[in-house]
Amino acid sequence: MKSINLRLKSKMNEVFSIEPNNLGASALTYYFKKITTYFKVMPFIYIIPLTFLVSVTLYFLLGRFLIKLVTVLQYGF
Amino acid sequence: MDFKKILVNFLTSFLLLCNRFIGLILDPYKIMRKISLEKDYWQPGIIIGLIFIYFKFIYYLREKIYPATFIYVSFIINFLLTIIFFYFLSKLFGKNKKEITFSSFLFTFSYSLLPTLVWFLSTSVLFIFLPPPRTFSLLGKGFSVFFTAYSLSLLIWKIILFYLAIRFSSRQNFFKIIFMIIFYLIWFIPYSIILYQFKLFRVPFI
Repeated sequence: MKSINLRLKSKMNEVFSIEPNNLGASALTYYFKKITTYFKVMPFIYIIPLTFLVSVTLYFLLGRFLIKLVTVLQYGF
Repeated sequence: MDFKKILVNFLTSFLLLCNRFIGLILDPYKIMRKISLEKDYWQPGIIIGLIFIYFKFIYYLREKIYPATFIYVSFIINFLLTIIFFYFLSKLFGKNKKEITFSSFLFTFSYSLLPTLVWFLSTSVLFIFLPPPRTFSLLGKGFSVFFTAYSLSLLIWKIILFYLAIRFSSRQNFFKIIFMIIFYLIWFIPYSIILYQFKLFRVPFI
Protein backbone atom coordinates (compact mmCIF):
# COMPACT_ATOMS: atom_id res chain seq x y z
CA MET A 1 0.00 0.00 0.00
CA LYS A 2 2.83 2.32 0.94
CA SER A 3 4.64 1.66 -2.36
CA ILE A 4 1.42 2.38 -4.34
CA ASN A 5 1.11 5.69 -2.50
CA LEU A 6 4.73 6.55 -3.27
CA ARG A 7 4.27 5.69 -6.95
CA LEU A 8 1.08 7.73 -7.08
CA LYS A 9 2.84 10.64 -5.40
CA SER A 10 5.77 10.55 -7.84
CA LYS A 11 3.33 10.33 -10.79
CA MET A 12 1.41 13.32 -9.43
CA ASN A 13 4.68 15.26 -9.06
CA GLU A 14 5.57 14.37 -12.65
CA VAL A 15 2.17 15.35 -14.09
CA PHE A 16 1.95 18.61 -12.12
CA SER A 17 5.62 19.56 -12.59
CA ILE A 18 4.59 22.57 -14.70
CA GLU A 19 1.68 24.98 -14.69
CA PRO A 20 -0.84 24.62 -17.55
CA ASN A 21 -0.44 27.16 -20.35
CA ASN A 22 -2.59 30.28 -20.11
CA LEU A 23 -2.51 32.62 -23.11
CA GLY A 24 -4.43 35.43 -21.43
CA ALA A 25 -7.74 35.24 -23.33
CA SER A 26 -9.86 32.19 -22.55
CA ALA A 27 -10.82 31.65 -26.23
CA LEU A 28 -7.15 31.76 -27.24
CA THR A 29 -6.21 29.28 -24.50
CA TYR A 30 -9.09 27.01 -25.56
CA TYR A 31 -7.99 26.89 -29.23
CA PHE A 32 -4.32 26.56 -28.24
CA LYS A 33 -5.15 23.48 -26.15
CA LYS A 34 -7.33 22.07 -28.96
CA ILE A 35 -4.53 22.42 -31.53
CA THR A 36 -1.69 21.21 -29.30
CA THR A 37 -3.64 18.06 -28.40
CA TYR A 38 -2.86 16.76 -31.92
CA PHE A 39 0.88 17.19 -31.32
CA LYS A 40 0.98 15.59 -27.88
CA VAL A 41 0.01 12.00 -28.79
CA MET A 42 0.80 10.25 -32.13
CA PRO A 43 1.67 13.49 -33.96
CA PHE A 44 2.85 11.66 -37.10
CA ILE A 45 -0.74 10.64 -37.90
CA TYR A 46 -1.34 14.30 -38.75
CA ILE A 47 2.21 15.32 -39.71
CA ILE A 48 2.78 12.79 -42.54
CA PRO A 49 -0.39 13.56 -44.60
CA LEU A 50 0.08 17.29 -43.93
CA THR A 51 3.70 17.34 -45.12
CA PHE A 52 2.86 15.28 -48.24
CA LEU A 53 0.11 17.76 -49.04
CA VAL A 54 2.50 20.68 -48.47
CA SER A 55 5.27 19.15 -50.60
CA VAL A 56 2.89 18.36 -53.51
CA THR A 57 1.57 21.95 -53.29
CA LEU A 58 5.15 23.24 -53.20
CA TYR A 59 5.94 21.17 -56.28
CA PHE A 60 3.01 22.71 -58.20
CA LEU A 61 3.96 26.20 -56.99
CA LEU A 62 7.74 26.07 -57.33
CA GLY A 63 8.18 23.36 -60.00
CA ARG A 64 11.82 22.87 -60.93
CA PHE A 65 13.02 25.04 -58.05
CA LEU A 66 11.86 22.36 -55.58
CA ILE A 67 13.96 19.73 -57.37
CA LYS A 68 17.00 22.05 -57.23
CA LEU A 69 16.27 22.68 -53.54
CA VAL A 70 16.24 18.92 -52.84
CA THR A 71 19.61 18.62 -54.62
CA VAL A 72 21.02 21.34 -52.32
CA LEU A 73 19.48 19.65 -49.25
CA GLN A 74 21.02 16.32 -50.23
CA TYR A 75 24.43 17.98 -49.99
CA GLY A 76 23.46 19.46 -46.62
CA PHE A 77 24.61 16.71 -44.26
CA MET B 1 33.30 0.59 -10.27
CA ASP B 2 34.04 -2.67 -12.04
CA PHE B 3 33.65 -3.33 -15.76
CA LYS B 4 30.60 -5.59 -15.37
CA LYS B 5 28.67 -2.87 -13.56
CA ILE B 6 29.60 -0.30 -16.21
CA LEU B 7 28.46 -2.66 -18.97
CA VAL B 8 25.14 -3.35 -17.22
CA ASN B 9 24.55 0.40 -16.68
CA PHE B 10 25.41 1.11 -20.30
CA LEU B 11 23.10 -1.57 -21.70
CA THR B 12 20.24 -0.54 -19.40
CA SER B 13 20.60 3.08 -20.49
CA PHE B 14 20.81 2.04 -24.14
CA LEU B 15 17.57 0.06 -23.85
CA LEU B 16 15.91 3.00 -22.08
CA LEU B 17 17.15 5.28 -24.87
CA CYS B 18 15.61 2.99 -27.55
CA ASN B 19 12.37 2.84 -25.58
CA ARG B 20 12.24 6.62 -25.26
CA PHE B 21 13.13 7.13 -28.92
CA ILE B 22 9.98 5.18 -29.87
CA GLY B 23 8.11 6.98 -27.08
CA LEU B 24 9.06 10.37 -28.51
CA ILE B 25 7.53 9.31 -31.84
CA LEU B 26 4.31 7.99 -30.31
CA ASP B 27 3.81 10.12 -27.22
CA PRO B 28 6.25 13.07 -27.23
CA TYR B 29 4.58 15.15 -24.51
CA LYS B 30 4.51 12.45 -21.83
CA ILE B 31 7.95 11.06 -22.64
CA MET B 32 9.65 14.49 -22.74
CA ARG B 33 8.10 15.24 -19.33
CA LYS B 34 9.66 12.00 -18.02
CA ILE B 35 13.02 12.85 -19.61
CA SER B 36 13.09 16.28 -17.94
CA LEU B 37 13.11 14.53 -14.54
CA GLU B 38 15.78 11.99 -15.57
CA LYS B 39 18.99 11.46 -13.58
CA ASP B 40 20.80 8.78 -15.64
CA TYR B 41 23.74 10.54 -17.35
CA TRP B 42 24.51 7.53 -19.55
CA GLN B 43 21.57 8.41 -21.82
CA PRO B 44 22.77 11.85 -23.05
CA GLY B 45 26.27 10.31 -23.11
CA ILE B 46 25.09 7.61 -25.57
CA ILE B 47 23.33 10.19 -27.78
CA ILE B 48 26.46 12.37 -27.89
CA GLY B 49 28.49 9.20 -28.61
CA LEU B 50 26.19 8.23 -31.50
CA ILE B 51 26.66 11.72 -32.94
CA PHE B 52 30.44 11.26 -32.72
CA ILE B 53 30.12 7.97 -34.68
CA TYR B 54 27.97 9.80 -37.24
CA PHE B 55 30.63 12.51 -37.76
CA LYS B 56 33.29 9.83 -38.18
CA PHE B 57 31.07 8.07 -40.75
CA ILE B 58 30.36 11.16 -42.89
CA TYR B 59 34.02 12.19 -42.90
CA TYR B 60 34.49 9.77 -45.80
CA LEU B 61 31.56 11.30 -47.74
CA ARG B 62 32.28 15.01 -47.26
CA GLU B 63 35.06 17.15 -48.68
CA LYS B 64 37.85 16.49 -46.20
CA ILE B 65 38.52 20.09 -45.18
CA TYR B 66 38.46 19.51 -41.42
CA PRO B 67 39.01 16.35 -39.35
CA ALA B 68 35.83 14.68 -38.06
CA THR B 69 36.85 15.31 -34.44
CA PHE B 70 37.18 19.05 -35.11
CA ILE B 71 33.64 19.21 -36.59
CA TYR B 72 32.40 17.17 -33.63
CA VAL B 73 34.04 19.58 -31.14
CA SER B 74 32.39 22.53 -32.92
CA PHE B 75 29.05 20.70 -32.65
CA ILE B 76 29.62 20.23 -28.90
CA ILE B 77 30.36 23.97 -28.58
CA ASN B 78 27.10 24.81 -30.48
CA PHE B 79 25.15 22.40 -28.31
CA LEU B 80 26.57 23.71 -25.03
CA LEU B 81 26.05 27.33 -26.12
CA THR B 82 22.39 26.53 -26.87
CA ILE B 83 21.82 24.83 -23.51
CA ILE B 84 23.63 27.54 -21.53
CA PHE B 85 21.70 30.26 -23.39
CA PHE B 86 18.29 28.75 -22.59
CA TYR B 87 19.34 27.90 -19.03
CA PHE B 88 20.37 31.46 -18.19
CA LEU B 89 17.37 32.96 -19.97
CA SER B 90 15.06 30.66 -17.98
CA LYS B 91 16.77 31.70 -14.75
CA LEU B 92 16.19 35.32 -15.78
CA PHE B 93 12.48 34.83 -16.62
CA GLY B 94 11.67 32.16 -14.03
CA LYS B 95 9.80 32.66 -10.77
CA ASN B 96 11.02 29.51 -9.00
CA LYS B 97 14.71 29.68 -9.86
CA LYS B 98 15.53 26.64 -7.70
CA GLU B 99 13.30 24.39 -9.82
CA ILE B 100 15.27 25.18 -12.99
CA THR B 101 18.21 22.78 -13.25
CA PHE B 102 20.98 22.52 -15.81
CA SER B 103 20.68 18.72 -15.91
CA SER B 104 17.06 18.95 -17.06
CA PHE B 105 18.20 21.09 -20.02
CA LEU B 106 21.00 18.64 -20.78
CA PHE B 107 18.66 15.64 -20.87
CA THR B 108 15.80 17.21 -22.84
CA PHE B 109 18.05 18.95 -25.37
CA SER B 110 20.07 15.75 -25.89
CA TYR B 111 16.87 13.85 -26.74
CA SER B 112 15.73 16.69 -29.01
CA LEU B 113 18.87 15.96 -31.08
CA LEU B 114 17.39 12.61 -32.21
CA PRO B 115 15.32 13.98 -35.16
CA THR B 116 18.43 15.90 -36.28
CA LEU B 117 20.55 12.75 -36.11
CA VAL B 118 17.92 10.73 -38.01
CA TRP B 119 17.70 13.36 -40.79
CA PHE B 120 21.48 13.76 -41.14
CA LEU B 121 22.09 10.02 -41.06
CA SER B 122 19.34 9.21 -43.59
CA THR B 123 20.46 12.03 -45.90
CA SER B 124 24.03 10.77 -45.85
CA VAL B 125 22.88 7.17 -46.55
CA LEU B 126 20.69 8.45 -49.40
CA PHE B 127 23.73 10.34 -50.68
CA ILE B 128 25.44 6.96 -51.18
CA PHE B 129 22.50 5.12 -52.79
CA LEU B 130 20.79 8.02 -54.62
CA PRO B 131 23.51 10.62 -55.11
CA PRO B 132 22.48 14.14 -56.17
CA PRO B 133 21.83 16.04 -58.46
CA ARG B 134 18.16 15.20 -58.85
CA THR B 135 16.88 15.02 -62.40
CA PHE B 136 13.67 16.42 -63.89
CA SER B 137 12.43 12.92 -64.82
CA LEU B 138 9.29 11.43 -63.24
CA LEU B 139 11.37 9.46 -60.73
CA GLY B 140 13.42 12.56 -59.89
CA LYS B 141 10.29 14.61 -59.33
CA GLY B 142 8.69 11.84 -57.26
CA PHE B 143 11.76 11.49 -55.08
CA SER B 144 11.93 15.28 -54.62
CA VAL B 145 8.33 15.38 -53.39
CA PHE B 146 8.98 12.42 -51.06
CA PHE B 147 12.24 13.90 -49.71
CA THR B 148 10.60 17.29 -49.08
CA ALA B 149 7.73 15.62 -47.19
CA TYR B 150 10.18 13.48 -45.22
CA SER B 151 12.38 16.46 -44.31
CA LEU B 152 9.36 18.58 -43.33
CA SER B 153 7.99 15.75 -41.14
CA LEU B 154 11.29 15.48 -39.27
CA LEU B 155 11.50 19.28 -39.01
CA ILE B 156 8.03 19.45 -37.40
CA TRP B 157 8.99 16.62 -35.03
CA LYS B 158 12.18 18.50 -34.17
CA ILE B 159 10.22 21.73 -33.50
CA ILE B 160 7.80 19.81 -31.22
CA LEU B 161 10.66 18.22 -29.24
CA PHE B 162 12.60 21.50 -29.09
CA TYR B 163 9.54 23.35 -27.76
CA LEU B 164 8.81 20.58 -25.22
CA ALA B 165 12.47 20.54 -24.14
CA ILE B 166 12.31 24.26 -23.33
CA ARG B 167 8.82 23.94 -21.81
CA PHE B 168 9.72 21.16 -19.34
CA SER B 169 13.20 22.44 -18.51
CA SER B 170 12.44 26.13 -18.14
CA ARG B 171 8.85 25.68 -16.86
CA GLN B 172 7.82 28.84 -18.69
CA ASN B 173 4.56 29.57 -20.49
CA PHE B 174 4.04 29.60 -24.29
CA PHE B 175 4.71 33.33 -24.88
CA LYS B 176 7.94 33.36 -22.85
CA ILE B 177 9.17 30.30 -24.74
CA ILE B 178 8.43 32.00 -28.08
CA PHE B 179 10.37 35.09 -26.91
CA MET B 180 13.26 32.88 -25.83
CA ILE B 181 13.32 31.15 -29.23
CA ILE B 182 13.28 34.55 -31.02
CA PHE B 183 16.22 35.74 -28.87
CA TYR B 184 18.00 32.50 -29.66
CA LEU B 185 17.47 32.85 -33.42
CA ILE B 186 18.76 36.45 -33.33
CA TRP B 187 22.28 35.19 -32.57
CA PHE B 188 22.03 31.66 -33.87
CA ILE B 189 21.19 32.51 -37.52
CA PRO B 190 24.27 34.77 -38.05
CA TYR B 191 26.35 32.22 -36.12
CA SER B 192 25.17 29.43 -38.47
CA ILE B 193 26.04 31.59 -41.49
CA ILE B 194 29.58 32.03 -40.09
CA LEU B 195 29.86 28.23 -39.64
CA TYR B 196 28.63 27.81 -43.23
CA GLN B 197 31.23 30.31 -44.48
CA PHE B 198 33.95 28.31 -42.73
CA LYS B 199 32.49 25.16 -44.36
CA LEU B 200 31.91 23.50 -40.98
CA PHE B 201 28.16 22.90 -41.39
CA ARG B 202 25.93 23.35 -44.43
CA VAL B 203 22.76 22.71 -42.43
CA PRO B 204 23.29 23.52 -38.72
CA PHE B 205 23.43 20.33 -36.63
CA ILE B 206 21.25 21.37 -33.69
